Amino acid sequence: MTINESKTPIIEIWTHSDNLSKRVQKLRDHFYTFHEREETNEPYAFTTGTDWDEVYTVHDWANEPAIYPFFASINQTLKSMAVKVEIPENYWEFGLPMRRAIFFHEVMTRYMPTLILEGELIVGFNFNTALSRSLNKSETKTRNKEMKSYFKEATRLNEIGVGTASCVPGHLIPNYAKVMRVGLKGIVEEYEELLKGNLTPKHREFIESLILSCKTAQSVSVRYAKKAKQLAESETDSTRKEELEKIAEMCSRGPWEVPSSFWEALQSLWIVHMLVMAAESYPGAGLSHGRWDQYMYPFYKKDIESGVITRELAKELMQCYWIKHNYVYDYQGKLGLNQGINSSFGQLMTLSGCGPNGEDLTNDLTWLALEVIEDMNLFEPKPNVRLHKNTPQDFLIRVSEMVAKAQGSPFLMNFDEHSIEGMVWQGVPREEAWDYGIVGCLENTMQGNDRSDTVDVNINLVKAVEFAMNDGKDLATGKQIGIKTGDPLTFTSFDQFLGAVKAQLVESIRLLTEAGSMADTIRAKYQPTPYLSALMDKCAQNGKDVNEGGTVWNFNTVEGMGIATVADSVAAVKKMVYDEKKTSMSELVQAIEANFEGYEELRQLLRSKAPKFGNDDDYVDSIARELSMFWAKEAFKHKNSYTGRQYRAGYLSWNYFIPLAPLTAATPDGRRRGEFISGGVGAVQGMDSKGPTASIRSVGKLGLETIPNGASHTITLSPSMVKTKEHVEKLAALLRAYNKVGGTALQINVIDSATLRDAQTNPDAYSNLMVRVTGYNAYFTQVGRELQEEIITRTEHSL
Amino acid sequence: MTSNGLVTNIQRCSTEDGPGIRTTVFFKGCPMKCVWCHNIETIEADPVLVWYAVKCIGDEACVRACPESALELTPDGMKINHDLCQVCGTCEEACPTGAMKVMGTNWSSDDLIEELLRDKVFFDTSNGGVTLSGGEATYQFEFAIDVAIGLQENEVHVALDTCGYCSDKVMREMLDHVDMILYDLKIMDPAKHEEFTGVPLDRVLANAQIVADSGKPIWIRTPIIPEHTDSEGNIRSIAQFIATKMQNVERYDLLAFNRMCTDKYTLFDLEYPLKDADLITEETMERLAEIARQEGVSQVAWSGMTKNSKIHITNDEQEERPCAN
Repeated sequence: MTINESKTPIIEIWTHSDNLSKRVQKLRDHFYTFHEREETNEPYAFTTGTDWDEVYTVHDWANEPAIYPFFASINQTLKSMAVKVEIPENYWEFGLPMRRAIFFHEVMTRYMPTLILEGELIVGFNFNTALSRSLNKSETKTRNKEMKSYFKEATRLNEIGVGTASCVPGHLIPNYAKVMRVGLKGIVEEYEELLKGNLTPKHREFIESLILSCKTAQSVSVRYAKKAKQLAESETDSTRKEELEKIAEMCSRGPWEVPSSFWEALQSLWIVHMLVMAAESYPGAGLSHGRWDQYMYPFYKKDIESGVITRELAKELMQCYWIKHNYVYDYQGKLGLNQGINSSFGQLMTLSGCGPNGEDLTNDLTWLALEVIEDMNLFEPKPNVRLHKNTPQDFLIRVSEMVAKAQGSPFLMNFDEHSIEGMVWQGVPREEAWDYGIVGCLENTMQGNDRSDTVDVNINLVKAVEFAMNDGKDLATGKQIGIKTGDPLTFTSFDQFLGAVKAQLVESIRLLTEAGSMADTIRAKYQPTPYLSALMDKCAQNGKDVNEGGTVWNFNTVEGMGIATVADSVAAVKKMVYDEKKTSMSELVQAIEANFEGYEELRQLLRSKAPKFGNDDDYVDSIARELSMFWAKEAFKHKNSYTGRQYRAGYLSWNYFIPLAPLTAATPDGRRRGEFISGGVGAVQGMDSKGPTASIRSVGKLGLETIPNGASHTITLSPSMVKTKEHVEKLAALLRAYNKVGGTALQINVIDSATLRDAQTNPDAYSNLMVRVTGYNAYFTQVGRELQEEIITRTEHSL
Repeated sequence: MTSNGLVTNIQRCSTEDGPGIRTTVFFKGCPMKCVWCHNIETIEADPVLVWYAVKCIGDEACVRACPESALELTPDGMKINHDLCQVCGTCEEACPTGAMKVMGTNWSSDDLIEELLRDKVFFDTSNGGVTLSGGEATYQFEFAIDVAIGLQENEVHVALDTCGYCSDKVMREMLDHVDMILYDLKIMDPAKHEEFTGVPLDRVLANAQIVADSGKPIWIRTPIIPEHTDSEGNIRSIAQFIATKMQNVERYDLLAFNRMCTDKYTLFDLEYPLKDADLITEETMERLAEIARQEGVSQVAWSGMTKNSKIHITNDEQEERPCAN
């Protein structure tokens, strides 16, 4: 409670600022009126016109089980709406990378529209494509055959609930920093230098495809320059005319040149970035900026110091730049609600963080970016703030304030020291690991030289428990999916049971990584993306496309789902079956087969008497650690020899804990089939009740250096915990402690009254929600309904 | 020295019980019996069995297990015969859902210290620590002191949250082993004090003086309870006492009454005496805080749930919305 405040402040709902300029407000409104506006960024499809042409790739999307039934129709729809592109006569003489580069060039320079919205200060509108895969007939045949085998296996594993295997675009940080530093012309100069060497024809042509791709980007910029000039000529408003002329001038220089101003840097970066989405025919999920505040700062600093721009103008430019990123959501077009906006696209912008010697790298642009984030309240670009032990207190307080004010989370926070340990563990030299960036949501990656896939393979860890208790068979179908680990009734010791669970994990990892590698190989063979390869280190030197493993770092990720459910289940077996003999394996197996029907007492016993992860209980936390490190190390043994991509672990479970729930049998922690498995590294819903500090301590024991991709951890707070300046200081202190004993990434949700109302009907989801009153102890869901009503209605005012 | 004591709860990540992030230990047993007490489970010194209706699945494992036949599940709920019940905990063990619960857990001071140290990193980053609360920690002073000593040996800041009713000897001894005191001054009229809390005022004021003279930082609290402590006169008296008799008072907090404990009372087959009382208004809290400031108390603040005329009711207004374009 702040001493000088005379009353408890009212919680404001975070919405966009009232102070947006008319221009920005208008642009923001334009984006949000999808159904009314004329201009949309819906996908345009393009074909070479051959009857075997493909414009869609299933493995690009196969991490989303919900759309498996729709693949065929999406494929057909895109093909049928595809516009035939005029290709040069000798097109089919080229290798695949060059064909792709040529096709991309034609589409982006001749076919894609060049819209400039009224009032825009940053231009570049249409980037959503379904490009021909540019395959010749025999390539198409082999690709489709391989695709079919892969998809058959992926479907099989998905339907049983073992997990998903895919090969998803995006999810990387191109070397934007280099483009800003030397311009595309600098990059092309390097490539032209390489051409002077002694190269195989294939290698030579590959480098030429990279050069062509860079020129494509410049051509697109020039097209927009022409458009801007055209509009300027007929523009009557003199201010707007001047703006358009300026835009025309900047776009003529384009990303080819080193930007001569902050505005130009934003403009060029936007073109370069949007074209990656166009080139991959993938709407931006995970395509991230990296440490934007670092490589953009010199431009900002120079302009501010020389008086070329004011902070206000810089802010307005940034606001315009921000809005552009949200048009990725037009992709879903007239499908979902809210334009299909969920928060899953993840063009991540990494802010702040440490330097090579632990020093803090926060700068003025970092602070300005936070202001823009707060003012705009948009989904994209997603910010992620890197925190470390030397994060300055004023910055940390600012970050904490923003977290406290926002309903839901304004950004995620990654923790440098733990994240760096993970990067080092997987082989990145410590002298480089400090400069990691983040993609997607929280996935740690290097910048500009790292195509480490992050969401491709997702394993249902809980299935291993089901298999261990059923000799490797899926309980619902009786299919032998896991390996035979024996009749659980013969396990005379806990170690035997644990051994069976581990053996099943080994097998699930094998199955999924093999399917993942099939997709990875298909992408390597049939989907080179020279434009992206041009922006990634070493591809040119190696003569290999980024999808073939041409850049420096090439990992793949196995994201683990349900670690808390697994830990709770294994702990329950240890305690209740073996240690205290409160039940027998025979009874437990029967109960699970019956989905606990007729076994309610046993189910409740397992829920209440066996320890649960997330409560700082060493009994179950040590089991969690052992299993986590075990499967992570097992995953690390797997590699796709075709691309050299090595698997490493992550804990980004996204929303899989929902669809996997009905596919996973009841578990010894008292969970019934259909009940959610745990998400990220969080506790099972309803099972953590000792507050955030206990939850953090549990997470910190997992040995997360073996999880280099990062671990998703969410803490939910009621507004009462962050209501005053003093509370915000406590939140900042909580974050500093997290940096010491917690995980790699954290999302804090401060909930609003609507969510509290939900808590009434779904108390398990909020078992750890606390309402703090001086000298009083209560958990929200243990308070009676009437009082819950009262708390809810008063939340926005005084609690 | 190690000793044993009875604790009803260990609450981690407390933000309202002293500076920083704290773990609050709720000791069982209190010499007072305040009419408005929101931690009724902590008043009695001995452990007691309670039944959580909302968790019960009616399996009656508890009834079958009870060696004293003290339990009966009736249509009106679980009947616990407290005369027969020896609080042995057998039913708690047998209960599959946690509906049967013994309030009051025995801890050795060493074990408790070890448990409390789990959050030390959070204490360190936030300048927080442990708060000895309850109930009343001084009611089990030997145990409280052992715990405090152990915590201080581990460089953990210890705050004592006390009602002030104990012997002067005990108070002095406790002061030696804590870093800060959170002290309640509830009501300054001696007759009312005795009526509302069950104990005389003079001891509380005498101890307040001892605390003030110790030189340790002090936070004073007054629960603002309708019809009991919320009069301007009461606050004025308290403020005058603070301003004239107590140095080192870092802040004075007025805590608005709330009814969240109503459910806890039903656990004991009791009705919360103030269950129908109105919440205090924001204006009243502000007015009382101003009075305290006028008496010369610096750093006055108030917190808690208040009655607010701008209640936002979300369900009642049913807008008509078109279902088709």
